[in-house]
Amino acid sequence: MAEGGSDEFSGRLGLIFATIGAAIGTGNIWRFPRMVGANGGGSFLVPWLIFLFIWSVPLIIAEFALGKRSRTGTVGTFRIFAGKNFAWMGLWTAWISTAIGFYYAVVTGWCLNYFQTAVRGGLGSEVDTTEVWNSFLESPSDVIFFQAIAVVITMAAIWRGAKAIEKVNVILMVSLFVLLFSALFLAFVMDLNDGTLDGFVYMFSIQPEYLMEPETWISGLSQSAWSCSAGMGMAITYSVYMRKDEDTTLNAATMCLANNSISIIAGLTVMMAVFAVVDDPLSAVGAGSSAITFLVLPEVFAQAPGGPVVQVVMVTVFFLALSFAALTSMISTVELCVRNFVDHGVDRSQAVGFTSVAIFLFGLPSAALWIKMDTATGVAFPQFLEVQDHIWGYGLMFSGLFIAYSIWKYGWSRYRHWQSENDIEGFSLRDYLDNGVSSFRDDFINTGDNDWWIGKWWDYIMYLGFPIMFSVLMGSYFIDLLVNVDDPWNPSNPNGISIILLFWGITASLFIGMNRYVLVNRMVPTSSDSGPWPLYILSGDFELEPRPLYRNVPEGAEAPIDTLPGGEDDFIVQVGDALPSSFTDDYGETRAHTLATLEAELA
Amino acid sequence: MTTSRLSSERAKGQGTTVLAMLLPLLLSVLAPASVIAPVAAQESESGLAPQDIWSDEYSFQIFPWGGDSRVQFREYHDYFTMKQRMQNLADQNSEIMTFHDGMNGGMNARGEETNRGTYQGWHYNHDSPWMKITADVNGGDCNPFVGDCGNYEDRPDVMLAGNFHAREWMSYEVPMLFLETIAYYYGMAGVDNDGDGLIDEDGWDGIDNDGDCLMLNASYQDSNGDGNPCGPGDLGVDEDFSEQFITDMVNTREMYLIPMLNVDGNRYDREVYCGPTAWENCPTSGWRKNLRDNTVTGVTPIPDVDEEPDPSCDGVDLNRNFQYEWGAPLGATGPLFPGMCYAGDAGANNDVYNGPVDTVDQDGDNRLNEDHVDGNDDDADGLIDEDWLGGNSEPETKLIQDMTEMNDDDNDGFSDFKATLSWHSFSELVLWPWGHCTGCYSPDDEFLVYHGVKMGEMTDYAPMQSSDLYPTTGDFCDWHYGVHNSYCYTMEIGTAFHQHPDDIAHIAVRNLGVPFYMVEMADDPRYRAIVGIENTTVSQWLQEPSEVKVGNGDIPISLCLDESFPYSTDINMTHLMWRLVQPNRQQNDFGPTEWIDVPWKMSAFSTPSEGQETQCLLLDGSNGTVLYSEIPLPDTSVGKIQYKAMLGTTNGAFPFTYPTLEGGNYYELAIPYRASFGSSVLSLMMFIVIASFVWGGLGLTLRAMFDDEGGVIGLPDDYDLEDS
Repeated sequence: MAEGGSDEFSGRLGLIFATIGAAIGTGNIWRFPRMVGANGGGSFLVPWLIFLFIWSVPLIIAEFALGKRSRTGTVGTFRIFAGKNFAWMGLWTAWISTAIGFYYAVVTGWCLNYFQTAVRGGLGSEVDTTEVWNSFLESPSDVIFFQAIAVVITMAAIWRGAKAIEKVNVILMVSLFVLLFSALFLAFVMDLNDGTLDGFVYMFSIQPEYLMEPETWISGLSQSAWSCSAGMGMAITYSVYMRKDEDTTLNAATMCLANNSISIIAGLTVMMAVFAVVDDPLSAVGAGSSAITFLVLPEVFAQAPGGPVVQVVMVTVFFLALSFAALTSMISTVELCVRNFVDHGVDRSQAVGFTSVAIFLFGLPSAALWIKMDTATGVAFPQFLEVQDHIWGYGLMFSGLFIAYSIWKYGWSRYRHWQSENDIEGFSLRDYLDNGVSSFRDDFINTGDNDWWIGKWWDYIMYLGFPIMFSVLMGSYFIDLLVNVDDPWNPSNPNGISIILLFWGITASLFIGMNRYVLVNRMVPTSSDSGPWPLYILSGDFELEPRPLYRNVPEGAEAPIDTLPGGEDDFIVQVGDALPSSFTDDYGETRAHTLATLEAELA
Repeated sequence: MTTSRLSSERAKGQGTTVLAMLLPLLLSVLAPASVIAPVAAQESESGLAPQDIWSDEYSFQIFPWGGDSRVQFREYHDYFTMKQRMQNLADQNSEIMTFHDGMNGGMNARGEETNRGTYQGWHYNHDSPWMKITADVNGGDCNPFVGDCGNYEDRPDVMLAGNFHAREWMSYEVPMLFLETIAYYYGMAGVDNDGDGLIDEDGWDGIDNDGDCLMLNASYQDSNGDGNPCGPGDLGVDEDFSEQFITDMVNTREMYLIPMLNVDGNRYDREVYCGPTAWENCPTSGWRKNLRDNTVTGVTPIPDVDEEPDPSCDGVDLNRNFQYEWGAPLGATGPLFPGMCYAGDAGANNDVYNGPVDTVDQDGDNRLNEDHVDGNDDDADGLIDEDWLGGNSEPETKLIQDMTEMNDDDNDGFSDFKATLSWHSFSELVLWPWGHCTGCYSPDDEFLVYHGVKMGEMTDYAPMQSSDLYPTTGDFCDWHYGVHNSYCYTMEIGTAFHQHPDDIAHIAVRNLGVPFYMVEMADDPRYRAIVGIENTTVSQWLQEPSEVKVGNGDIPISLCLDESFPYSTDINMTHLMWRLVQPNRQQNDFGPTEWIDVPWKMSAFSTPSEGQETQCLLLDGSNGTVLYSEIPLPDTSVGKIQYKAMLGTTNGAFPFTYPTLEGGNYYELAIPYRASFGSSVLSLMMFIVIASFVWGGLGLTLRAMFDDEGGVIGLPDDYDLEDS
């Protein structure tokens, strides 16, 4: 912020709404009902609820704890918590979120388009929804137009920082609740109309045989993992704007529980409406991709009782809710990226503008490229977008792994520290458990601001549960690809394994390479005749100096970071503090920092 | 030329025809008018009387050729009247029929010198009379051995033989009706046989094609009283066949019709054993065998003093005396020890005595009977079946064997008889080889089944492999099929050995189509079966998805098969292939629907169980039989069932698939969720649990967050926050 000083949410509600907005996305509204339908109704809710408490909540707690202490975006957080050499993990996290944002803007555009179509009565009962979908998807100008609108709305919302984000989120989320509850009521009436509440009954009936199947549990885990945005870095980003006395654990629990509450409401709405109207409701709701949302639900809502007005209202309300859910997620996605620029001294407006344009441009292929037809169903689908989702969706899991890694690393460093303090040599598991494992929890979670004390269970989950669940998710994903995809190792197969590994590998290598030259250091020309950027980089005529990192620490929220692996870095400063004028380079020489004065002045 | 012959023939028969036509008129005049009137009124309400539809002749089953009651099949022929009638017909139709009495003999196919006496009955010394039927019956190659000059290389031969067993009187009446029919209708075309104004509208197939029988009052529909209304043998069923077909058959086939093979036995049965009204005292008993004098020629040492047949010992069962697998002790109803007669023991053994054991070393290798007739080289000397155990010891069986083996018009070394038929009584069956082994199937099984079932449909007789009834050894058909690869069938006619004379006509009519069928298929029975099966498969179908009834539990899929289709019951050959195709649960959010790849599974087809439909309509509109297969699928499964049927034939020659390749590889059937969605009460409880976790938890966290005085949730008692 040009004005200097820190940026923070105005109050608790602001933070809550912002984080809930980030967590609640289209996945709650279209993915959750589909998972319920495909996985045996109530049987799915059991693993879904269990994994809420052993995956989502603990991970979000960790995110809040990380962000609240580091007071920087993902790159800075990993630079501080995992150490200088691991800032690239933060970049990975930011990149995954942004890469998802590229196509998520397109998807948000779809929702907006469906909303405006619904308002204009274009989704009535006489309409062939497949035709509507196909013709929309196959006209790139329409898709791009609504994608642009989604990006512009997002840009406007975050332009002015935390307080603006907060306001927009409050408005959107409250509207979303109202809209969803109205839709739920209408769906309830629909389902009750035929004498039975079978949608409700199915959704809350446990079918034992489904509970015996591993797919149900994997589906429950994956839904929990994605739906709440756990591991995505959203919570890290928003916790930057936390006041000092904000509660990390309660916020995490609130965010996840609110997310799941919305899932239940949306799920009930969809299930009851579909069961009321469709002859074969489970095939309709449980089969196929999310495009089904755009095909089946308009058809279902168009048959709502109460005449055409109610039907238009119903479908409008639903797609408006969907749009709002998508927009709030979009906002957090862009903010996550913007925050990282701001952390490194870029002007917020510039960062927002740059990020928005990038998201729009890089989203264009997803919007218009490779629009294919599913011959089995006659439904068009965007293959480029699908491939993007295919690649980055599971890349998200690594972000979670990195968060866990930084926690493990902190615990280990505290154990080494304890060893050296007490002059103890050699590894002892007992000592490690007593003096290392719980350190993160003791030092960053169970602080005085917390109204929910977290017990040892959290350590078990982060140290044991998380790796197991991570492996199961990854393993099941790759096994699924191996089993169900033809020729999975062919790199030109967009649904194969090779293409994922290729993209992950390239991205990770690039980021690891960038770690030293871009993330924690900056390249400056050796002399004035080294030429302009990027010539001096290409010619190798550059030197490295530490890149400053500006922490956003609201008033009274100061907390020391010097015990952290990357905390003892003079160039990590609070916004408004002066940078050191010199630094010690790799050769032990003390050199003047080029930004010493400039940045100090900016601050 | 033909027409002139016809008109003269018709003129000859006119007198008797007119008389026959008067018969019903006379009857109606005799009947009191008061009785007829109310009956007619009653009938008009619920259907017609036969006379309302058909000519009086047909209504009273009066045959158009006139003649006495024997020729009208109201009274049994005996040997003499039958022979006389055959001779008359041959005289009247000399261009297509020649009458023969036995054969001349000579050097037979196995190198034995025979003469007329070889083929004459032991006791009465008659020849078996037979008729050669073919167009220009004296204009072909002459066969001095057989004594017949109606041989044409290009005409397939067919042998039709009746009365192997003396007491089975219908078994020569049916051939006689066949003969009369040919004699009367040959050369005619477009005759309205039933007088209903239509021509050739209902040929031999066992079905009332024109539906006229169904128009009758219900009380008339089962005119033969077999309990099956409008079935084969009833008035109005197969009543108007194609005369052109008969003419064509005579022109293109050589028929050897032997109505009464066992003349000796038949005379003995009629004249001595049961008497001329045998249906009264011997309906299901009587003399079966020929009249070989076992007391002289057999092993019993007592000389036969009076030379009269001794019913307790004499005679050989002609249909056990053929050489193929003769006397094989395979549980067959032959004598325990082949060639032995149990004098004084009139039990079942005696009744199926298969003749004496052979005592000749046919191949002169000083080993006796070492290579039995079974198609194998039992002694491994390079010759097959060259020194037999027995059989072919009787004049009658010799007649059949030599007639068969000495008919090789094209000199290809094989008998010309590709199709052979024998008539027996009783049980209403159609039988085919094998008879000598149970649970065994001939290499041509599916083709034999095909024709057998066809003839079964024609007569409403039960088709089965001969040994499924009971095992027999040395029978006519095993020998014909086993040695000469002839498609051989046995008709078990009627319901008694000696049927009541009132039943002769309708039983004979019911069986009339069969010999014509045999004659027609004689050109190439195997090929006709193949083509028939292939045509059949085109009209068969597997239930389409839109027709499948998806209820709870297993999903039944039906397969509609032609009744004559010889399907294999082996699950590896005939089965339903199916798989449940479900959307992948780990569905990509934005891509096309992904499906789980599952292997095909197999379910057997079985005949309908209680309560299931047994009839179906084939694509050609005729009736078929249903097979069912069940797809086992829990009610909770959702997805698409892909299914197809593999249909194997009994010997595996034709694996057919349904749907056909042109119809796509498989059918696809959407399976909705069929189980109960769950209990309202339990779901409400579950809802409360979930809601209290999620919404209750949410409320709790929010309250704790905004309540700064509330303390810390879950703080251990011994923990001091300030310490950390």
